[in-house]
Amino acid sequence: MAESWGMVIDLDKCTGCQACVVACQSENNIPINDEGLFNQRRAIEWIRIERYWEGEFPDVKARFIPILCQHCADAPCEPVCPVFATYHNNEGLNVQVYNRCIGTRFCANGCPYHVRFFNFWEPEWPDSLKNQLNPDVTVRSRGIMEKCTFCVQRIRRTGRKAAQAGIDKSDAELERGLNPACVNACPTQTLEFGDMIDVLTAVKEGTRLPDEPKSKAGAKVKKELEEDGGRGYRLREQLGTNPSVVYLRKVDEHRKEVITHG
Amino acid sequence: MALTRRQFLTLTGGATAAPIIFLACGVPAEELLVEAPLEMPEDLVSGLDNWYATLCRQCGTSEGVVVRVMEGRAKKVEGNLDYPINMGKHSARCEGGLQDLYHPDRIKGPLLRSGERGTGQYEEVSWTDALGRLNLQLSQLQSSRNQNSMVLVTNPIGGHLGMIAETFASKFGGRYMPYEPVERTNLKAAIKQVFGQDRIPDFEIENANYVLSFGADFLNTWVSPTRYARGYGEFRQGDRERGTLVHVDSRFSMTGANADSWIHVKPGMEGILALSIAHVIIKDGLADPAAAQALTGGSNLEEFAPESVAAKTGVSAETIEQVAHDFASHKPAIALGGGSAGAHTNGLFNLTAIYSLNYLVGSVGQPGGVVFNPAPPLSEIANAPSSSSYQDWADLVNDMRSGDVGLMMVRGADPMHGLPGTLGFRDASYDVPVIVSFSNIMDDTTAMADIVLPEHNSFEDWGTDTPDAGPGYEIVGFQQPVVRPFFEGRGEHLGTRGFADILLAAAQGLSLDLGLAGETYKDVLQGSAEKLFALNRGSVRAGDFKSFWNGMLQRGGWWDVNAKASGGVPAPQRLPEAEEPRFDPATPGRFNFHLSPFSSTGIGEGQGAHIPWLQATPDPITSATWLTWVEINIQIAEDLDLREGDVVRVTSPRGSIEALAYPHPGIPPGVVAIPMGQGHVAGGRYAEGRGANVFSILSDLTDESTGALAWSATRVGIEKLDKWIRLPKFENSVSDPPEDEEGLVIEITSDDS
Repeated sequence: MAESWGMVIDLDKCTGCQACVVACQSENNIPINDEGLFNQRRAIEWIRIERYWEGEFPDVKARFIPILCQHCADAPCEPVCPVFATYHNNEGLNVQVYNRCIGTRFCANGCPYHVRFFNFWEPEWPDSLKNQLNPDVTVRSRGIMEKCTFCVQRIRRTGRKAAQAGIDKSDAELERGLNPACVNACPTQTLEFGDMIDVLTAVKEGTRLPDEPKSKAGAKVKKELEEDGGRGYRLREQLGTNPSVVYLRKVDEHRKEVITHG
Repeated sequence: MALTRRQFLTLTGGATAAPIIFLACGVPAEELLVEAPLEMPEDLVSGLDNWYATLCRQCGTSEGVVVRVMEGRAKKVEGNLDYPINMGKHSARCEGGLQDLYHPDRIKGPLLRSGERGTGQYEEVSWTDALGRLNLQLSQLQSSRNQNSMVLVTNPIGGHLGMIAETFASKFGGRYMPYEPVERTNLKAAIKQVFGQDRIPDFEIENANYVLSFGADFLNTWVSPTRYARGYGEFRQGDRERGTLVHVDSRFSMTGANADSWIHVKPGMEGILALSIAHVIIKDGLADPAAAQALTGGSNLEEFAPESVAAKTGVSAETIEQVAHDFASHKPAIALGGGSAGAHTNGLFNLTAIYSLNYLVGSVGQPGGVVFNPAPPLSEIANAPSSSSYQDWADLVNDMRSGDVGLMMVRGADPMHGLPGTLGFRDASYDVPVIVSFSNIMDDTTAMADIVLPEHNSFEDWGTDTPDAGPGYEIVGFQQPVVRPFFEGRGEHLGTRGFADILLAAAQGLSLDLGLAGETYKDVLQGSAEKLFALNRGSVRAGDFKSFWNGMLQRGGWWDVNAKASGGVPAPQRLPEAEEPRFDPATPGRFNFHLSPFSSTGIGEGQGAHIPWLQATPDPITSATWLTWVEINIQIAEDLDLREGDVVRVTSPRGSIEALAYPHPGIPPGVVAIPMGQGHVAGGRYAEGRGANVFSILSDLTDESTGALAWSATRVGIEKLDKWIRLPKFENSVSDPPEDEEGLVIEITSDDS
């Protein structure tokens, strides 16, 4: 049985430090977000930290939530693409095929998480900085949609290494190579990655969660979904997108009510 | 047989098409994907890579990293899983090392000033020529017996590099002045006074139940943020009960945002607040009696009763009582302080009072508390030296003006940018006949240099580090070159060299015996490594030195988890006399706000300003990038009719800068905050002329007991200018997602936690 990659994000640990954001930029050849791009609201961050204010001074809180492509099992971005540039592969990844993309941006309109980014401009680097570009990741040209891939290039590389060594690619030994760049960077270990096919399938079908989930991330999700008062939830789950990313709520010692933002 | 191009294509095309047609009958669809006419991104086949362990030198923490190298180019930085400081994790700033290495404006080879000083006109010269000029300057000072007029300025560096710089300066007879923009003078002095330690202790946050921090933005920028953040993750959701973090700060920092409670204290009153907490702990019998006796000499600090200090500190008596009780009853508990709490005229007192709290709850030397660091295992190297205090710099400026500085050599430091404008360092530098810079970026100081001898990027050079703060046991981190020097062999005068090797060459030219074992920096490091090998303990052990050396480089260093600090728990010292902060004399109606400068998440205090990734790293709270903004309480902003992006002039008694207003829901009404790091006059295309330099308006008040700059003691006025510039920030880059029936957009916290 193939994998279904998923991520669990523990909001009680996230400090908003931006380590994941920069690690992702470095791994995935994301164009330099210069001042102009921020001003045009066209900066690209495959993973971003959203900050929400709660309350008023002096009882003010800032909350952080990392948001990346949720790799939905029923992704709204997929059926709208007229050229099949975005599709779901058999490992649960929502994949973007850059050389099919014709830039209709329908997918971005369909995405309720706003994690798809359009290249309004040809990405430019000074020649010397091109030395750093990751040869495993395509540089996207102008007019192309891009988004988080769960670092599919790392999954592929680890898969080949695993095949050579004759072990499963979910093996703990290969964890660092398999993890997306953001997960390895995250200082507080807010982000955890793994094969969550058993857990995600059970959640989707409403059946009992597996007794022994395949991955650590899956086990964590199981614990937080099953436990009374567990903190697990998925972003905008009510839309029926079936995301592969599970969030664990932040614990607030002082205000024990659901905090909402709008 | 001669083939035409057309025939060749027909043949090869047919040959590849044939197997597909036949195999398609029985081959799984997945296999066919590989043969598809277009490569899916997921099917890319990549080349071979190598990962080398080394150290990141982008900030003072020097995290252990592994660098991915393909075809001789560094591609990616990740945390070194083995390295005890950051244990596989890394901060945003570590990645910046790559863009530093391949920076388009990197200085490619030695330069000699050809125009007026500061005009940026240089000519390329050869290394022989440039080194000859440096040696000429040094030997002239030697022959005129004027060695003391040589000043060597570096960032505070631990390990061998710091040792070589210090040895060079002392053997030559010159002065060695470590420099950092946000000095740790008061922190080091307080640690010495309270714990008798020369090194910053390790805070075992992962095993603590309660952390009470004062002013130190320790999850973001303070001392060793990646290490602390790793502990914080465990502290929040580890195997034990969830820990509580209370942050006391006059500004709403990132650490404040993550705290369970953020207590906003009046600037400079952190120490008095700490004494009040101590009073409640002692009064209510929650303190370790012996420690209380030793700290207070039997008094219970009655004069600091919460009711008496509430007005002064701006913290209510109930809050003080509550925090004191929670702190004393949730052991192990840690009290730590730094940052703005130590940057007042009473900074040393503040920090001394804060750190003394640890004795009252028995956290000193205990798991989950304050754990001391042993001295480095090698006698020849020390931890990074304390930076010279502001007072030292003021003295130096006087010497510069009076012509007592003949040669200034600067490495890894940018004092022209980071020293307060009121000091006049830049003006005084015109009185220094020769300035030599070793920077590989044309930063503000290098732009004033006469000779530039660009050093390697840290990924091209050797090195060691003895981290401060360490992990609680002996450690020597090793840095190895992971790529060949980028400019090597690219042109007649091009190429960079290691800073240590430049100094060693200079010493040789002067026939100066530095007393080091070895001709080159690498030899010196290997000499020391042999001593580590001879210890025959710790993380790397081998049958012969070669295997030891290789094993150590593979792991990024040597450490011994069993070699902890000896000496037990030091006896608590009497608390110092309470001291209140001083500010510039009040000017009625002019300087109504307290200025709280803070280190930036991405660019630090300016060290990362030339790196585009770090410039584009959003500030965690405001999500602002690239420019300088001023955080003003949202209510006050409304009163002053300020919208986001309105340009305001921030004026202190020492000068003024312009910054973009950011109405901030979290900052106290009487405080404005400005990030450090921008406003460079040079620094390459990504830094030059960008934003404003908050250091240029700082007051020159110091803590008289240490000479440390009170960089958080400036008062400013705000004036709206008739100009608006869009604040480049990430927030609102993505539009608000549509709401559902319940109005829910995104929920973060839980109702039933």
